Amino acid sequence: MALIYHLIVFYITLNLAVYLLREKRLRWQASAAVVLVMFLLRLFLIK
Amino acid sequence: MNRAVPRRSTGRGVLLLIAAAAVAVMSGIDFRSLHRGDPLYPPDSLSRHRHLSDYFPRLRHTAGDTDVYIFEGEKPGGHLLILGGTHPNEPAGFIATVVLLENTRVARGKVVIVPQANRSGFTHNDPFEGNPQRFAIPTGAGERWFRYGSRLTNPVHQWPDPALHVNPSGQKLAGAEARNLNRSYPGRRGGGLTEQVAFAVMQLLDQERIDMAVDLHEAAPEYPVINAIVFHSRSAELAAMTLMELQLAGMDFRLEESPLNLRGLSHREWGDHAGIHAFLLESANASHGRLKGRPSQDLILLGKDKNYVKAAELGRLFVSFDERGIPLKARVARHIAAIKSLLVGWEQLHPDLGLTVTGWPDAGAVRADGIGRFLHPPQ
Repeated sequence: MALIYHLIVFYITLNLAVYLLREKRLRWQASAAVVLVMFLLRLFLIK
Repeated sequence: MNRAVPRRSTGRGVLLLIAAAAVAVMSGIDFRSLHRGDPLYPPDSLSRHRHLSDYFPRLRHTAGDTDVYIFEGEKPGGHLLILGGTHPNEPAGFIATVVLLENTRVARGKVVIVPQANRSGFTHNDPFEGNPQRFAIPTGAGERWFRYGSRLTNPVHQWPDPALHVNPSGQKLAGAEARNLNRSYPGRRGGGLTEQVAFAVMQLLDQERIDMAVDLHEAAPEYPVINAIVFHSRSAELAAMTLMELQLAGMDFRLEESPLNLRGLSHREWGDHAGIHAFLLESANASHGRLKGRPSQDLILLGKDKNYVKAAELGRLFVSFDERGIPLKARVARHIAAIKSLLVGWEQLHPDLGLTVTGWPDAGAVRADGIGRFLHPPQ
């Protein structure tokens, strides 16, 4: 269960990072960066 | 069509990626600091310092393990357990045990103090509440900082929550209650972390041969069981004697018998399964109520809240509440007074199992001088 959780969160985190790098508009890049912070914490189960 | 991303956007993306990682690291460091324990300073009279895992080894090296402080007198007598921190968002329960711990001297009998029963609950806060992570109590030589935690076990230590939780006593509860220590008694050896902690507490009651146990809590002012002594049915006489003692001292409490149809709570299951005299004390805490305004350290320490003043005017509370609030020192004083009164009644009913404890501050002194006067200065 934990492995599946980590894999899902890692996949979304990776997609966010790729999106952040490919997106042209600053506003959308900044939004992705904010969400990425939370997913990085989720990835390492930091609470 | 040229689909290449401009270099400026990629460079900006890399910078934002680095910034996001930096914020995550800083936040992570801050969150992880919540997992560090609050330093406590037991006096030289401490007989033994154990851990809950000594009573149930499966808890060792888990977030459920917590400190157990044991004071034994030279003469045999009764055995008392005082449990604080079952709900870490109820600060008077935790702080009262810290005050007692740092001032306990036992001449007769045994006193066991567990300040942070749900240790995992101290490692996080309830989401969406905006509560402060810590609060400070000034002492004569600096501030003592204590964690303000969550009612429940941290979900990183126990997850997922079931859709419906059936506790070890058969009571059906909402899924999140699987992480509520005070719905988990008598616990399960192979259950989730919270149930294992409850199981360990039951083992402690048995192995230390506890005669009487007190679980310290707080309740929101809109909650009916407030400023109360909740007692197991076998302890009705002792509860009544305690109430009289407190009323003679000018303190108003209400008595609530532990309901037979509400299972999993300490005051029910300790009495039923361990056969001891079980009590739960509630004081009034605005900081974890539903009607509170903006959370802050002041709300925890001073207990003042305009919303609760309004609610009191509208007759929606079960306790008097005005602009003076209900400060933490008054709530801690109530707990100390109630425990001392319990011991007076206990001595009268069980003279062969009396307890002689010195060093505990007078409740009036705590109210007048503040909690910090009775805490060890920070080191």
